[in-house]
Amino acid sequence: MADTMGHSATATRNTRLALGFCLLAIAPQIFELIWSIGTIFGWGAGRGPGTVLTSHVTALLAGAPSAIFGSFGGGTKKMSSEVLLALIYTYPLLVVAILTLFMTVRSAQDYVGGVVLMAVALFALWAGSDLQGMRGFSFGAGTAPRMFSGLLVALSAAIALTGLLTDGPAMAHYSWRGPLFVVAAILFFALAIRPLGVVVTAFISFMIAATGSQETRWREAVIVGACLTLGCAILFPYVLGLPMPMLPRFLIQ
Amino acid sequence: MDIFANLAHGFAVALSPINLLMCLIGALVGTLVGVLPGIGTIATVAMLLPITFGLPPVGALIMLAGIYYGAQYGGSTTSILVNIPGEATSVVTAIDGHQMARQGRAGPALAIAAIGSFFAGCVATVLIAVLGAPLTKLALAFGPAEYFSLMVLGLIFAVVLAKGSVLKAIAMIVFGLLLSMVGSDIETGASRMAFNIPELADGLGFATVAMGVFGFAEIIRNLDAGAEMSRDLVQQKITGLMPTKKDLIDSTPAILRGTVLGSILGILPGGGATIASFGAYTLEKKLARDPSRFGRGAIEGVAGPESANNAAAQTSFIPLLTLGIPPNAVMALMVGAMTIHGIVPGPQVMQKQPDLVWGMIASMWIGNLMLIIINLPLVGIWVRLLRVPYRLMFPSIVIFCAIGIYSVNNAPVDVILAGVFGLVGYWLIKHDFEPAPLLLGMVLGPLMEENLRRALLISRGDWSVFLTRPLSAVLLAVAAGLLVLTVLPSLRSKRDEVFTESEN
Amino acid sequence: MTSIRTLTSGACAVALASLCIFTAPAKAQTYPTRSITMIVPFAAGGPTDVVARIVTGHMAQTLGQSVIIENVVGAGGTTATTRAARAANDGYTLITGHMGTHAASVPLYPKLAYHPEKDFEPIALLAGTPILILARKDFPPKDLNEFVTYVKANAEKVNAAHAGVGSVSHVSCELLHSILDVKPVSVPFSGTGPAMNALVGGQVDYMCDQIVNAVPQINAGTIKAYAIATPQRNPSLPNVPTTAEAGLPKFQAQAWNAMFAPKGTSAAIVASLNAAASKALDDETVKKRLLELGSVIPTAAERTPEALATLVKNEIAKWTPVLKPAT
Repeated sequence: MADTMGHSATATRNTRLALGFCLLAIAPQIFELIWSIGTIFGWGAGRGPGTVLTSHVTALLAGAPSAIFGSFGGGTKKMSSEVLLALIYTYPLLVVAILTLFMTVRSAQDYVGGVVLMAVALFALWAGSDLQGMRGFSFGAGTAPRMFSGLLVALSAAIALTGLLTDGPAMAHYSWRGPLFVVAAILFFALAIRPLGVVVTAFISFMIAATGSQETRWREAVIVGACLTLGCAILFPYVLGLPMPMLPRFLIQ
Repeated sequence: MDIFANLAHGFAVALSPINLLMCLIGALVGTLVGVLPGIGTIATVAMLLPITFGLPPVGALIMLAGIYYGAQYGGSTTSILVNIPGEATSVVTAIDGHQMARQGRAGPALAIAAIGSFFAGCVATVLIAVLGAPLTKLALAFGPAEYFSLMVLGLIFAVVLAKGSVLKAIAMIVFGLLLSMVGSDIETGASRMAFNIPELADGLGFATVAMGVFGFAEIIRNLDAGAEMSRDLVQQKITGLMPTKKDLIDSTPAILRGTVLGSILGILPGGGATIASFGAYTLEKKLARDPSRFGRGAIEGVAGPESANNAAAQTSFIPLLTLGIPPNAVMALMVGAMTIHGIVPGPQVMQKQPDLVWGMIASMWIGNLMLIIINLPLVGIWVRLLRVPYRLMFPSIVIFCAIGIYSVNNAPVDVILAGVFGLVGYWLIKHDFEPAPLLLGMVLGPLMEENLRRALLISRGDWSVFLTRPLSAVLLAVAAGLLVLTVLPSLRSKRDEVFTESEN
Repeated sequence: MTSIRTLTSGACAVALASLCIFTAPAKAQTYPTRSITMIVPFAAGGPTDVVARIVTGHMAQTLGQSVIIENVVGAGGTTATTRAARAANDGYTLITGHMGTHAASVPLYPKLAYHPEKDFEPIALLAGTPILILARKDFPPKDLNEFVTYVKANAEKVNAAHAGVGSVSHVSCELLHSILDVKPVSVPFSGTGPAMNALVGGQVDYMCDQIVNAVPQINAGTIKAYAIATPQRNPSLPNVPTTAEAGLPKFQAQAWNAMFAPKGTSAAIVASLNAAASKALDDETVKKRLLELGSVIPTAAERTPEALATLVKNEIAKWTPVLKPAT
């Protein structure tokens, strides 16, 4: 602690970590909000962004605290799914985020790994909270998921703890280009295979994926991509007999 | 002896030109399907089922069986070369097999996988012919309680196969168990953690998650800046194609043990084959003089599990041939093929359809012979494939995986999910979590939960059934012993680490 | 050979397709002008799939176009049925539904995305599959009367097995239990195979299941059958009495397979499909293969779209009270 330089460095690092965890704590709410924007354009059915925003904000700021205090009073009224999300998922993670500010993280790899895994487990705990529990001697639908989520919370907490107690590697470096383009290629494939067919989809996906590496030589990639597409077009629908469209739908009809 | 007459009859059936051709086609298609990432045996057999309508029933079944065990040979190829296990049984092969490939020893790894599979296939075929009927009793003696205990043992295997921290490995198993809970509840049909996505109603597919956390994650990681160096190294280092004398000596006992383990566990319907390959790996690691070699390219880590999964693939025919009850999804499809031909398999299928049963048994041996003849020369071609520059290789793998996953259910959502799991897998790698225990947890999770619930339903909530039924008690005792053996040393070393650090 | 076979058939299909593009304007009136997709909501090789393949194989000859089977599995067949309900109603996407997807699903899945009556045009009933009451071979009761008394007396002790929520064995057992007014423990298995394995192995006491899987086991004596829940005895099991003969006439249940098109498919197309299906059911080979499966072939009166519409209506009415409280 005598080394002030080192201390301030870990302090900034911890603030960033804590901020990250706060963001993680409200990630499901943000995700639902973004998802709900789609309803404006008429994609999918669901609640509009306005309703989503107000219900989550009230749950986070008012519903959940009152539920906590209410439970001391012995009130057991049924809680809404937003309040449950805040109680089961967001609040514990916010607590972790605040605690992070006061900790010396000795292995960021383990600590962050543990905390994120804990977030997954808490989220699963929430996702399974509407399921029935034990009924007499027989398991309910929710028994096993809750058991495993609880176990994972404990295990991930232990992992996070080892990250505080023992020295270990720092956070590994993440790159953005590879993941971005590979995932983009996969997404494109998923969305295009039905309307556009194997030939078009496979070739374009190939090219998107190839953009993910800086080593790619374009002429070579086009040639290989075309050959691969041809190969796939023969192999999958004909040799293996998989029922998949070959050409774009608008060309066939 | 009866058995020789039967076998002779079987060979007479299997050696007819048309059946030989069917066997060869089955073996070839099986190898192809096994090699292509993502396309599972179930999907292929389902696709090819209509073609078999026009064939004579014996030929049709010989072909379908060939696809099934041929895929076991092919599946190891993708696991070793590009670290993408296509089936649950080849997850463990990927661990040491891919490390061997990275050290330039893809050739020996592929060859030993083929040799081990061949040996195991031959032994298991003889076993079916000689002991098929008595072994059926084992399958029938396994009730829900026994299955639950077996699954517990399987999960302990998953802990043992971890290279690094035991704590992290257990966390990954539980994560896998949690993922396996997604879908419909078996008893009430209630939708669990599926968020009203219809494609999730039946849970996450194994292929989807495996392609994600192994295949896509590996690709994404390899694209990281600075990863080119190690890749190029792999391509330059390729040494001999065939295993050395030392490799053969090292792997012979592993092949023998794997064969025995696989033959026994294969008879058990549902998950037997998966547990066999994980069990074989665990056994090798526990018996090895230097267990630290495992996970870093130990040839026994390829030989044992590969022999075990092929032996299990063969003996899993026993319940079908002696009881007429299909032990897994592929066998269920074969029953479908038989029904279409007007043969409904049952306990008397051996007496009523000697042509079919003995012809199939004989064809399995012939098929295994064909497969090794096909696969050994292919080793050279596969290894040469590693020399293809990665910048061309990785987009191709992406496309193959995507088509493979799509073809399983014709569901685009599966492809998206695999992409999501690719990112999850990338994150896991970055935080030093291993994907293999996760996958095992995912495969065994539903079996474990369902059988636990069945056992408790039948016993009316009495947990002591797991200890009062002898088979179940033995399995649990083995599991407990193994857990103690695994956890104790690692706890001790962890504690030592903590102490040495605090002294400084 | 397979590859060549599929390749040539593929090439033929391409040739045919291109031919269709050019000749389409000339014969736009005559349905069908291209291949028809038949969705089967269960895995290839299952009872529904086998029935669909046998019948459509013959229908393809009558219609002069190939019928492509697409197996879409998931959620007790409701995934596939939802997809079929949303498909274009041009007669080129059909579905072979069954008792589960087009009747029992209504009470079983409260959030069902389709309604069997409102979202489909019935085409024809294809086959009925009788249901049997089966028990492990050493289960004490000797006949159905003893079985009824035994189960009523020991409702706390006996274990029934079924092949998963929504399966034929599940819903028919629920019907049996509601008639007997008992609630024994139902042990769920994932599929008919594992359930049968448990019954043969004596892990559970009894189950109700379709005839297809049970005949060889009954003949071999590994399990026993108390009764068949149809009005007539089945030729493949001549010694098994009907429920009416054995003293439980109220228990009548039959799994059925029928062909449906999405709502709004034109009457002309429905009529031509119905005619093709009916012709297939009259074909000797088709008949023989369906009978081998233990199926009951519907009579001419039962094959009309109207009869199917009535059947669906009656079946929903029959299963709803049985299954509603169960979930």
